[in-house]
Formats: sequence, C-alpha cells, structure tokens
Amino acid sequence: MNDRPNARELLAISHATFTAEILPALPEKLRYTGLMIANALAIARREIEAGDAPARAEFERLCVLFSDGPRELAGDALAVAVADYNHRLANEIRAGRFDQEERAVLLEHLRRTTGAKLAISNPKALNAK
Amino acid sequence: MNLDEPAARRRLTGYIARATGKRTATIVALERMSGGAVQENWALDVELDGELQHWVLRTDAQATVRESLTRAQEFTVLEVAHAANVFAPEPLYLCEDLAVTGRAFFIMRRLPGVAAGHKVTRDSQLVADPARLARELAANLARLHEIRPSHPQLGFLKTMLARDNIAHYRSYLDTLPDAHPVLEWGLRWCELNAPAREETTFIHRDYRTGNYLVHNGSLAGVLDWEFPAFGNPLEDVGWLCARCWRFARPDLIVGGIAALEDFLAEYERASGRTVTPRDLNYWQVMAHLRWAVIALQQSGRHLSGTEPSLELALTGHIVGELELEILNLTRSYLKNT
Repeated sequence: MNDRPNARELLAISHATFTAEILPALPEKLRYTGLMIANALAIARREIEAGDAPARAEFERLCVLFSDGPRELAGDALAVAVADYNHRLANEIRAGRFDQEERAVLLEHLRRTTGAKLAISNPKALNAK
Repeated sequence: MNLDEPAARRRLTGYIARATGKRTATIVALERMSGGAVQENWALDVELDGELQHWVLRTDAQATVRESLTRAQEFTVLEVAHAANVFAPEPLYLCEDLAVTGRAFFIMRRLPGVAAGHKVTRDSQLVADPARLARELAANLARLHEIRPSHPQLGFLKTMLARDNIAHYRSYLDTLPDAHPVLEWGLRWCELNAPAREETTFIHRDYRTGNYLVHNGSLAGVLDWEFPAFGNPLEDVGWLCARCWRFARPDLIVGGIAALEDFLAEYERASGRTVTPRDLNYWQVMAHLRWAVIALQQSGRHLSGTEPSLELALTGHIVGELELEILNLTRSYLKNT
C-alpha cells in the first residue's frame, strides 16, 4: 500500500495549488493551456472520487432493461459487462426496439447515465438551464 | 515545411513575385495565426512595388481530417462563394507546387474583425446591434444557399442529405470500440423524423459563431470553408442555432448573439423558404450529433497516440454535454406516437 496522500488527495491539492498560484501568473498566451490543465485535473479528481459507483448504477439499470437478474461485479469485470450491455443497447436502439412503448424507460436510463457522466466531466453543464 | 525558415521564406517571396507579376515583392510580416487544428493560417503582409498588402496564407497542418477538402478545392469554393456575393475572404493565388513550401497553400485577402466566439458573445461593444448582425448572417446564408449542385466548378463536393448524414455517423460509430447509446438514440430519432422531401443546395457546414468576422459591429466575412457539401440548407440553420455554439450566451438561440426571430424572419424573406419549429428542432439534433461525432474523432486522434494533445483529449469530455442536449431535444416529434 502506497503512503498517503493518495491519488485523489494529490490531485485535489495539485488542482488547488495550480489554480491559486500558477494560473494567475501565466502570461496571456498560456492562459488557455493553463485552464485546460486545471480542467483535466478536476475531471481526474472527480472520476477517482466517484470510483465504481456510476458504473455499478449503470449496470444495475442495464440489468433491468434487459430483464437480467442482478449480479455483483467490480473493477474490470464490471467495465466489460457495462460495455457489452451498451453494445447490445446500441444495436437494439438502432433496430427500433425503443421506438414506442419502451421509449420512456430508455430515455430515463440514458438521462441518468448522461447525468452521471456529466457529474464527472462537466458538472456545470448539468446545472445549466 | 516551416514558414519560419529563411529558405522557405525566400522561395515564398519568389513565388509571390511570379504569381503577382510585380517587379518587387517583399515579405514584411509572416506570423502563424491562432486556431486551426486542421489547417494552418499565417498572417502575411507583403509589399508589392511599394504597396502594402494584408493577406492570409492557408496551408495544411501536419494532421489532416479525412472530411476536409484539399486546399485546391477550398480555393475553388471560395471563388464560387465570392462570385455569389457571399461575405468571404477573396481568394487570390493557389500554389500546388510542393517545391515552394513543401505543402499546398493558397493566399487570400485578410479581412478585418474579430471571430473568437467567447468575445463576440460577451463583448457588447463589439456587437452594438445584435439583431442587425443576425439579419446580415441570415441574408448572407440565403445567398450562399442559392449556389446549386449543378454549379460547373463544384463537381467534387459530395451530397449529404439527412439520411446520408445518419448513415455516415453510424458507419463511424461502428468503427469505435465503445458503443454510444445516446448518439444511437439521436440517430434513430433523426431517422424516424427525417423529412420526406429535401431541397439540395450548397451548404457551408461550419457556419457558426467563432467562424465569422465581426468588424464595426457588422458581418465582415465567413471563414473556414473546408467542410462544405451539397445538402439540406436547413442543416446550416440548425448548426448556427445549436446550443453548443452559443458560447457565453446559451440563452440566445442564434449563435449566442440574438433571438431566433431576429435571424429567421430575414432568412425566410431572403431565401423564400419556411423554417418551422419542427425543422429547426430536427436540424439542431443533427448538429449535436455531428459535433459529438467530430468530438469523438478528435479525442481519438489523441487516444491513438499519433497526436498527443491536451486540447484533443479534453474534446472527448464535451460529448456528455452534447448528449444531454440531444436528450432534451428529442422528447417529442417521434412519428407514429
């Protein structure tokens, strides 16, 4: 086991220090690059903080959508299972399975998945409108 | 090629003298302009027989995007647009001789003004009368849409109507390792709601805030003519009015600068077309699908390792925002329901 601070804690303090001390001192020419670095650090921190939870929630919804019983998965196995389900889901959407009665269920699932994704990649977009 | 090298500049000076037929040509300034991940733009000031010219030299960047035109084709498109009285930089000289700089390039007249989307949408000094700018954008777009597929110089352009777009985006998604269910949903929705009949005109396909110059509050010219096609003219309207191109002002539908009525009334008047709310909604969905596909392509350039870039990497993280808008725009209009 590595010593603390861990990856999340290191990213958090790096982001805070970069934003407070480096970003204001950057010349105009490098400001956009600086903002991109701050953004990337923040995304990485939020992704680590969220951990497996978004994938597990997505997996549980997909199990219901495909009428499969719940399974306890974690790590790579979870990621592979979610990816497999999403391929199936994409194919069935394209084939028209969700055109009619099942449309509302699909949209609810997609909305939650997108919300979870934005909570990591761009929380501001989630709060807009 | 590197235009910063003295030898390249000497060859370029010689080319300019030959192309213009002037006795003396001197490069006064040559500087890389910002923007342009696909093409490089260089601000070029030249003295020709004592007269100062402000030009832009446009050339391929190292990485090319497969959907982009060649410089020779783009030069032709600019000639056609210019002849149709569309506000665009005037194309001057095309050089396909690789001995000059190592890459094909062309020279166009440099227009004055500001293009940057965050400035145009934020700085009220820059756009004193946004409704007028919206009308200028509308009249200009209507003129552009008068160019027809029968145009004798534009035989190289492909035709992309609604269903062609859908097929094209699906074939791209099929090459990716991960599935994208929200984009699949958007494409299915577009398929079910596709217009029964479509008009086909020349379309710009990147007509948006950030790609036109505003000078003294007026439209000075439209830039980035690298992705045009023949297609449904309403695709350009949807692209200009898509939420993803509103920068600082998501509440202003027309490119973050003006309300819809300011633009639409003039576009309808000048073009003779009617744009229904349903049409607009449809092409706004298509706009977000297209931008999402391009964003995936751009982050793919980073992920493949061929072109490591923080900007390309972060482009992958705007897909979620585009997907949210697709979900918001596809709540209604499904056929047979």
